[in-house]
Amino acid sequence: MLEIHPSYPALASLVEKYPAHRGSLFQTYNDILLAQQWRDVQVIDLGDCRRGALRGKRPKTATDPESLLDVIPCSLAESITLAWYRQLYLAVVSDDSSIVYYKLSPGIVKPSI
Amino acid sequence: MILVHFIYLCTPLYCILYHMPNVSKKNPRIKCARLISFRLHSTMNKGGARRYENNRTYAHPLPLIFLDSSSNRTRSILGLLGLSRSQVNNPHCEGYYDASTRSVWVVTQRDSEILWRRGFFGKGNLSRSEPSWFVRQIQDRQSRKVTSNTSNFSCQEMTSEEIREKRRVERKQFKLDRAAAIAKVAAEAETIFETEGRVVVPALFGPEIPSGATWKPKAAEIEPSLDPKLSNAENETAVENEEGGEEPLEDMEHLQLTLSEAFFLAWNLDCLTILDPETDEPLSLPDIWNTFQHAHLAFPIPSFPASELQFDNPFLVHYAVYHHYRSLGWVVKNGLKFCVDYLLYKRGPVFTHAEFAIVVCPVYEDPQDQEISNTNLQNASPFTWSWLSTINRANSQVMKTLILAYVTIPARQRLSRQTLNSPACFAHYSVREVIVRRFIPARMRD
Repeated sequence: MLEIHPSYPALASLVEKYPAHRGSLFQTYNDILLAQQWRDVQVIDLGDCRRGALRGKRPKTATDPESLLDVIPCSLAESITLAWYRQLYLAVVSDDSSIVYYKLSPGIVKPSI
Repeated sequence: MILVHFIYLCTPLYCILYHMPNVSKKNPRIKCARLISFRLHSTMNKGGARRYENNRTYAHPLPLIFLDSSSNRTRSILGLLGLSRSQVNNPHCEGYYDASTRSVWVVTQRDSEILWRRGFFGKGNLSRSEPSWFVRQIQDRQSRKVTSNTSNFSCQEMTSEEIREKRRVERKQFKLDRAAAIAKVAAEAETIFETEGRVVVPALFGPEIPSGATWKPKAAEIEPSLDPKLSNAENETAVENEEGGEEPLEDMEHLQLTLSEAFFLAWNLDCLTILDPETDEPLSLPDIWNTFQHAHLAFPIPSFPASELQFDNPFLVHYAVYHHYRSLGWVVKNGLKFCVDYLLYKRGPVFTHAEFAIVVCPVYEDPQDQEISNTNLQNASPFTWSWLSTINRANSQVMKTLILAYVTIPARQRLSRQTLNSPACFAHYSVREVIVRRFIPARMRD
């Protein structure tokens, strides 16, 4: 079903390269692009992790050029190590298309408010 | 002459009292009251109207409807004999099986609506519950063309996403107000110390600091269009830009059913046909049974040669729980947002919040099976106290009761492999619930 979806062309290369993660990448890409409406969404290949990731800007901070954020999609069944990354969002995808986003930062970070 | 003029101005109920002119001195009581109701219910406020609408839209708990056109008398007479003339109205919905996302996609508007409205099956893949992405996009486009005052609160009801945004904005404002109040109290304590030398401990709560119970959102913020000419000019340019680049909007959303939901509908109610996306052919029940289990084994690529199906397949374990609660009348939805497996709603997400959060804990009847198993079932091994404490705390905050649903996986020795060929194997699974509540001896004595 993925192949006939309008979003497929943007993801085609990564879906073929890393088939194990194609479901979560597809769902996260659609959610970020269409539902959350992030701007300048790019699809990135994380070769060392052997998975794809997304990068873009949230609509509220879209005008700020520094505000590129990284999103790594994964599914509930996986165990994942991301110790080497600085700051990113982890998108956990479930079978019914529910996605929860976790913001991961190194160390303890106090909430802004 | 006493004129008593009484008009209730709450929709949809109007109450008009008739007065009797000269009789009033002898009989001061109002002679008669006629209640004219425009709708056939007795609730008198906006919440009531919405409840009425919800009761109408979500009247059917399952996609199958039973229609009986005979009169009440015929029905009661036949009922005494144990007979019924009801006919089953089956909507015959269709969905496509997708291996990558391990779900069934319902792509037609008609089927999505039926499955959501009759039983809350599925979830819009671009929405938080009901598929509402298309509606939200249209409202967005319209609000960009109209002046900012009227925005999304025009004639239509807000989608649940819009309500959520409004709630988040209010919560953020509350947090800012609270932080400002705390800072102010701290600053006052500082000045008192500097001027008088007295130490005052700045409080983090108290009468001066807004809390969840006392804070009220400011009255509706209407964006000030100070100069009507200016705002109109801005809007005109905005409209021109939009119309130049406006593409016809295609609905990119579908209703996504989990494999458990799809199997429940297909096997128990026979109201869902699951199609193979490559061939457009309906899958037979044995096909569905095998495919759904294999989907959980080597995800998402089926392994060659196909590995043998076992009793501890995650599909079987989760379906046992799903079926157990659905057949008891609960609406079972995904619990990812609260770190649990399922949420139980009494009637549906539209009516009340979920009261129970379920965590599926599989238990092997024969511990040997667990050792030789390839599947790594979640929560099948003893869990840590910190995990339980975290989940309990998260759910207590949102006023849900945590339930551990223990599913017993039958032993391989006891049953033949043939049992796994059909859903008859579920007779050997059992589900037991354990409710977890934190006990605080100091506080819970009263």
